[in-house]
Amino acid sequence: MKRRLLVAITSIVLASGVLPVQAGVLDNILHPFRTARRSSSKSASHVGEVVWSGLVMADNAPGPTKIPAELERIEPTLKELFGYSHFDVIGQSRNRLVTGQEDWQAASSKHFVLHVDAQGPNEGGYIVNLKLVQHETTEPPSDQLVLETATKLSKRSPLVIKGPQVGDGQLLLVLVVQ
Amino acid sequence: MKTFEEKWTAWLDDELAGAELAAFELSLPDRAAAEAEKASTRKLRLLLKRELSPSVMTNEEFFNHQVRERIAGDEASTSTRGARSTWWTVPRLLWSGAVSVVVFVLCAVWVMQDSEPLEPSPSLTQVLNAKLDPTVGPDATMTMFEAKEDRVTVLWTEGLKSLPSDYAAK
Repeated sequence: MKRRLLVAITSIVLASGVLPVQAGVLDNILHPFRTARRSSSKSASHVGEVVWSGLVMADNAPGPTKIPAELERIEPTLKELFGYSHFDVIGQSRNRLVTGQEDWQAASSKHFVLHVDAQGPNEGGYIVNLKLVQHETTEPPSDQLVLETATKLSKRSPLVIKGPQVGDGQLLLVLVVQ
Repeated sequence: MKTFEEKWTAWLDDELAGAELAAFELSLPDRAAAEAEKASTRKLRLLLKRELSPSVMTNEEFFNHQVRERIAGDEASTSTRGARSTWWTVPRLLWSGAVSVVVFVLCAVWVMQDSEPLEPSPSLTQVLNAKLDPTVGPDATMTMFEAKEDRVTVLWTEGLKSLPSDYAAK
């Protein structure tokens, strides 16, 4: 009786491990979130997504302002973090990723330029190198690198970089994968 | 044809009548002794009726009686249930467990084959490394943190040189 039961259970376990050719069912059950074999298809799924980049001046200037749609969701967080109530976009850009490995000049204003060097898609996002350059209009004109960062940008997880103080306000760099 | 004993019993109970009664009384050898015995029998009957009538229970007795009845009923039902639960013998339990495992594995196989590959949970943006140019702030520092409620990743700088307001021009 016990021997028959043991044989039956052993057969079931072996069968469930052998049935799927590429991986056992038990393997899938035990590792439901393993994605190593799916990385190639995931990389392709990133292509075609749009990255919005913006140079935002935050201050407490009076009067209403129209905040871009990209910032609407995070506006309460920006107000809470930086203590400003007014956000003005002084430069913005939308870039569509084709291969996921492009370089482009993202948002720019009269005195600031944000360069983006995309390193390609990574699991769950993109690796990008960002450079904020300060442009001096003196004679002769010159560019001054302010900061440089390598970041893994994830969809629906915006990146906000606190830049230098400008007048009574604060320069912010915002990147959003849409 | 009744026997003497039957007629005697019927006479004591006043069930004889008419010619039968007269004939029986004439046949008695000692009428006076018979009448005396009949009277004593009647007294005994009355006494028994009075003393052996059903007794009336007091409240306490009635309550105790009800409790005993209930306990006896519960014990009877418990013993019946115990006899019924013996269906789950050890071999049957083992077989039931094995069948359940088989059903679970089959359902798991079916679900795993039909479902789409699971997407990893979207992660937060991560700052892998960052550096500031020393010319814009020799003592400037950077800190990274996350505002989880909006899934915002913040790279916080301190100590950068302040710029005049005309740098805010578009």
